[in-house]
Amino acid sequence: MPIFKTPFNGYSVKFSPFYENRLAVATSQNFGILGNGRLHVLDLSHDPSLPPITELASYDTADGVYDLAWSESHDSLLVAAVADGSVKLYDLALPPTQNPIRSFQEHTRETHSVDYNPVRRDSFISSSWDDTVKLWTLDRPTSVRTFKEHAYCVYSAVWNPRHADVFASASGDCTVRIWDVREPGSTMILAAHDAEILTCDWNKYDECLIATGSVDKSIKVWDVRNYRIPITVLNGHGYAVRKVKFSPHSRNLMVSCSYDMTVCAWDFMVEDALVSRYDHHTEFAVGVDMSVLVEGLIASTGWDELVYVWQHGTDPRAH
Amino acid sequence: MAMRDLVSGSTSCPDPSSSSSSNNPLASLANSLIASSSKTQERLKEIPTSTPTANGFQIYSQRSNELPGSELDKPFFDANSQGSEFLNRFRSAGGVGGGLEDTWDEIQREGRVSQLPTSQFERVYDQGPGPQLHQPPLDGTPQRVLSSFLHSFLDSGRGGIPFHPAPLPLLGLSEGDKQCIRDRSSIMARHLFADKSEEFIDAQVNALLCSLDIDSSVRDKGPMPERFREFDDYWNESQGNLRLGAPAADGWITEYSQHRQQYDNPDSWASTFEQQHGANGWASEFQHSQLSSVDQMRGMNMSNLAAMEQTRMLANTLSQNGDPKFQNSNFFQFVSKMSRGELIIDDNQVKETALPASGDWAAEYQQQYNHGHAQVSRGPDQWANEFTTEGQQHGAVGDQWVNEFSKLHVDDWADEFDQQVGEGVFGESSSEHWAHAYDEYLHEQVAAKKLSDSSRGVYVFSDLNPYVGHPNPLKEGQDLFRKGLLSEAVLALEAEVMKNPENTEGWRLLGIAHAENDDDQQAIAAMMRAQEADPTNLEVLLSLGVSHTNELEQTSALKYLYGWLHHQPKYGTLTPHEMPNSLYHADVVRVFNEAAQAYPDDADVHIVLGVLYNLSREYDKAIASFEQALKLKPRDYSLWNKLGATQANSVQSADAIMAYRQALDLKPNYVRAWANMGISYANQGMYDESIRYYVRALAMNPKAENAWQYLRISLSCASRNDLLDACDNRNLDLLQKEFSLQ
Repeated sequence: MPIFKTPFNGYSVKFSPFYENRLAVATSQNFGILGNGRLHVLDLSHDPSLPPITELASYDTADGVYDLAWSESHDSLLVAAVADGSVKLYDLALPPTQNPIRSFQEHTRETHSVDYNPVRRDSFISSSWDDTVKLWTLDRPTSVRTFKEHAYCVYSAVWNPRHADVFASASGDCTVRIWDVREPGSTMILAAHDAEILTCDWNKYDECLIATGSVDKSIKVWDVRNYRIPITVLNGHGYAVRKVKFSPHSRNLMVSCSYDMTVCAWDFMVEDALVSRYDHHTEFAVGVDMSVLVEGLIASTGWDELVYVWQHGTDPRAH
Repeated sequence: MAMRDLVSGSTSCPDPSSSSSSNNPLASLANSLIASSSKTQERLKEIPTSTPTANGFQIYSQRSNELPGSELDKPFFDANSQGSEFLNRFRSAGGVGGGLEDTWDEIQREGRVSQLPTSQFERVYDQGPGPQLHQPPLDGTPQRVLSSFLHSFLDSGRGGIPFHPAPLPLLGLSEGDKQCIRDRSSIMARHLFADKSEEFIDAQVNALLCSLDIDSSVRDKGPMPERFREFDDYWNESQGNLRLGAPAADGWITEYSQHRQQYDNPDSWASTFEQQHGANGWASEFQHSQLSSVDQMRGMNMSNLAAMEQTRMLANTLSQNGDPKFQNSNFFQFVSKMSRGELIIDDNQVKETALPASGDWAAEYQQQYNHGHAQVSRGPDQWANEFTTEGQQHGAVGDQWVNEFSKLHVDDWADEFDQQVGEGVFGESSSEHWAHAYDEYLHEQVAAKKLSDSSRGVYVFSDLNPYVGHPNPLKEGQDLFRKGLLSEAVLALEAEVMKNPENTEGWRLLGIAHAENDDDQQAIAAMMRAQEADPTNLEVLLSLGVSHTNELEQTSALKYLYGWLHHQPKYGTLTPHEMPNSLYHADVVRVFNEAAQAYPDDADVHIVLGVLYNLSREYDKAIASFEQALKLKPRDYSLWNKLGATQANSVQSADAIMAYRQALDLKPNYVRAWANMGISYANQGMYDESIRYYVRALAMNPKAENAWQYLRISLSCASRNDLLDACDNRNLDLLQKEFSLQ
C-alpha cells in the first residue's frame, strides 16, 4: 500500500470526507519543538502506471502544523492547527499564493487540534495549550466563543457526530469535558484517567460512547450516561496513547496510535480487544485516521516522516 | 449503507422515550445528516466536471444553502426535546444559558444575513490575504541553519555519560525559541515519563530546563512572540551566532564553525583573549573556566552541578528501556541530548563555551574546590606569573594548564578574579600581572585591525617541532604536503613561518594543510597571517572567503571574495576602482556572474560562485557552479570535497559520498574528505560505515578533534558503547582493530 515521505515529522493525517482517494497530512519540523510546518494534500492512485501517492498541494507555515480538519461542507477547504497558536484556513481551489485564505490568531499558545462540525457544517472548534477551546464559523473574523474551564493544555476537542452543539474536550488536567455550546459551562466532567488525556473520540454509532486515550498508556471507553465506571479499559500500548479514532463503519472497532510507535486496532466489546498491532513506524506514531468512504482504509503518520495508507488487516509496509 | 444506519439506527441511547419519530429534532437532525451524506455521494460523482469553490463568496453562499434548515428554524434549546435530554441527563447546571444561546443564535442569523453581498464575511474574505495573513519567509537563513543543526543533533547519538560529555555546543536562540523549546519539550516529556511519579517527572523536567539554562519556574502563557522577526534581527546582528557543535556538521559549511568571537561586546575581555589565542587552545578553555568559576564562586553554578547529577538519572532512565527501536528513537536522543546539556541555549550571558571536555573540567574543578583548602596555597601573583610565562612559551598546553590551575588556592584566585571583574578592568589593566602579556598584544591588535575583522584566530604552534632548525623547512613542508603527510607538513611549515614570519606562501600552505587536516581554527589563523604578509594574494583571499563562509560570516566572506575579483586586472572593468564600503550578497553574485560570462573558462570564478551560493543557501545553484568548475578542473580534490559538502547540505548524502570518493581518489590522505564521508554515512543512519571513515581519518590525523567527536556519536548510535572508552582515551589501535576499512 502507498507510503509517502514528508520532509518534516508527521503530526496528523485525515481522509477527505468528499474524495475516497484524498487525504491531508499535518507536519512539523524538529518534532514540533521548533521550526516550520507543512500541510500536504495527497491523492492516492490505483492506476499501476502512476505513483501510488502524489502530492496535490502543500502549504508552508511559519510554525509546526499539529492538526488539520477537512471542511464538512466544501471539498476544497481545510483547517489547520498551527503551533504558533493560529488556526489557518486553506482552499485547494485557489492558487497557493492566495492561501491561507484566513488566519485566526487568538489562541495564545500552540493550537493542538481542530475539528469540523459534521452536523452544523459551517463551524469548527480548535483546542489549544492555552487551556481553551474556541468555536469558529467561517463567516466571522473572530471566534464565536471561548470555552475556558480546563486547567491545563487541551489536546483534543471533538464534535459529537450527531448533536450539532455538543463536543468533548480532552485535557492534560486529567479530565474530559463535555460541552453544549448553548450552555454557559461544560455540562459534564469526566475524570477519565489519573494521567494526562491526550485524545478522545465519539463513537459514530452510539452517540453516548466516548473513548479516551491517556499518557497512562490505556484507552478507556465510556458511556456518558454512566460516567463513573468505564465500559472497558484497553491495555496494550507501551507508552502514552496519542490518538484514538472510532471506525465510521463498524460500531465496535477503533484504532489508536501511541508513542510506543505502534498503531493498534481494537474491538472494544470483546474480552480480547486487541485486533491488530501495526508496528510499521520507527518513531512515535502520532496521527491515525480511518476513511469514511472506503471501509477499512487506515492512514497513519509519525515522527519518522512517513505516511502509510493501508487496508485494515494487511501489512502497511507491503507494496 | 453504513452512514444511513449510523444516523437512523435508534439503538443508541436506551431511553424509553427516545424512539425516533419524524417530527422530533433528533430525527430532523438525522434526516439532514442523511441528506448531507447523499449529497456527498453526488459530489463524488460530480468530481470530474465540477469546478469547486472558485472564491469565498461562493463558498459561503453555498454553505448557507446547505445549512440544516430545520435546526435553524427551531428554537435552539428545548428542554423537552430528546436532543437536549441527551445533555440534560448529565448537565450540571439546570438553567438555560440564555446569553450564550443568544450568541449562538445570533451567529446563525448573521450567517443568513451574510448571504447578502455586503456580508461581513465576504468583505473579510475578498480582501484576500490581508496583512495578518502574511506568511513570513520560509527557509530563511537562520531557520535553515537551525534546522540542519537540530536535525544533526537528532541524527547523532546519545553519546555521553554525565560529566564526560561530548562538546557543548552553544545555540544562540531568541527568547521566543527558548520559550518554545522549554514549553514544548517539557509538555512532551510529561507524556513520555508517564509511568513515573509526578515528583520524578518534575525533577526530570526541572533538570532538563536547568541544564538548558532556562528558568523553569515560569511557564509563560503570554502571547507567542513573533519568532521570525526575532530571527531576522538576530541573524542580521550576529551572523553565525549559531554555534554548531561537533555533531552538527553535515558538510563543510558547518563543520568548520565551532567558535565565533563577539567583537562588538564591549566587556568581552574574554572574546579578545580568545581572539588572540585561538579558540581551540588552552586560552579559551581558560576563558571558559573563568566564567564558570566566577559563577561558581558566587554559588550560582552549584544548582547546575546538581542538575547535572539529575540529568544522569534522566539519561539512565532513557537508556534503561531495552527496546532497540526505542533506543534508536531520534526524539529520545534529542531529549537526552538536551537533558545532558549538550544542547545549550545561549542566554546572552556566557557566550563562549562550547569547549570539549569542559564538563570534565567542571568536575575536576569542583573537586578541587571542595578540597581547595587542603591544597598548597599560592598567591595569585605567583600564579599569574607562571601563567604568563607558560603562555608565552607554549601555546597549546591545555591539559597542563588545567592541572596547573587546579593546584591553585582557589579562593585567593577567585577573590582576585572577582575583584577584577567588579572593576571591569579585564583586558585593559596593565597593572595586573596575568593580563599584562596579553594586554600589549591586544592594544597592538586593536590599533592594527578593526575588531569587525572577525573570527581572527591566533595561530597556535606545536610545542615540540623537530623541523625547527631544518635548513629549508618550506621545501620540506611542500614535499610532505604533496605526499599527503599533512601533520608532518604542518610541523615543517610551522618551522618555516617561525623562521620567516613574513612568508606568505608558508602561511598559506600551512593554512591549507590545516584545512585539509580538518582543523579550521588553525587554518584561518594561518590564512590571516598570510593575508597580513600579502594583502592581495589571490589564493589567500579565496581561501579566506571560503573559510568565512564556513564560519557563516557573510560580511567578511563577501569582502574577501570581492577582493579576490578586485585584485585581478582582467576583471578590473567589472569592479569599481575603490572597494565599496558595504557589499551586498546579490551585488557580489551579480558581479561574479558577469565575470563568469566574460571568462567562462576561469574555474575559480565558478568556485567562488559556488561558495557564494552556499552563503545564501541556494544549494542547487551552488552544486551547478561547482559542477561547472569541475568540468574545467576535474582533478581538483578540494573542489570535489566542496561539491560533496554542498550536496550534503542540501540533503543529498548519497551524492555527497560519490563526490567525496572522487576527492579521495585524487588525494587519498585528504583527512577532511574521509571525515566528511563519515558524516554523510552517519547522516544516512549508516553508523558502522561512518565509524570506519572517522577511524580512517583519525589514523591519518589523530589531532582532528572534530572527527573524535563525530566518532563518539557514531559509536553511541551504533550501540558500541563498549568502545566509548577507547574513543575517550584516543585509543586508535583498538578502534582500528574493530573498524578497519577494506
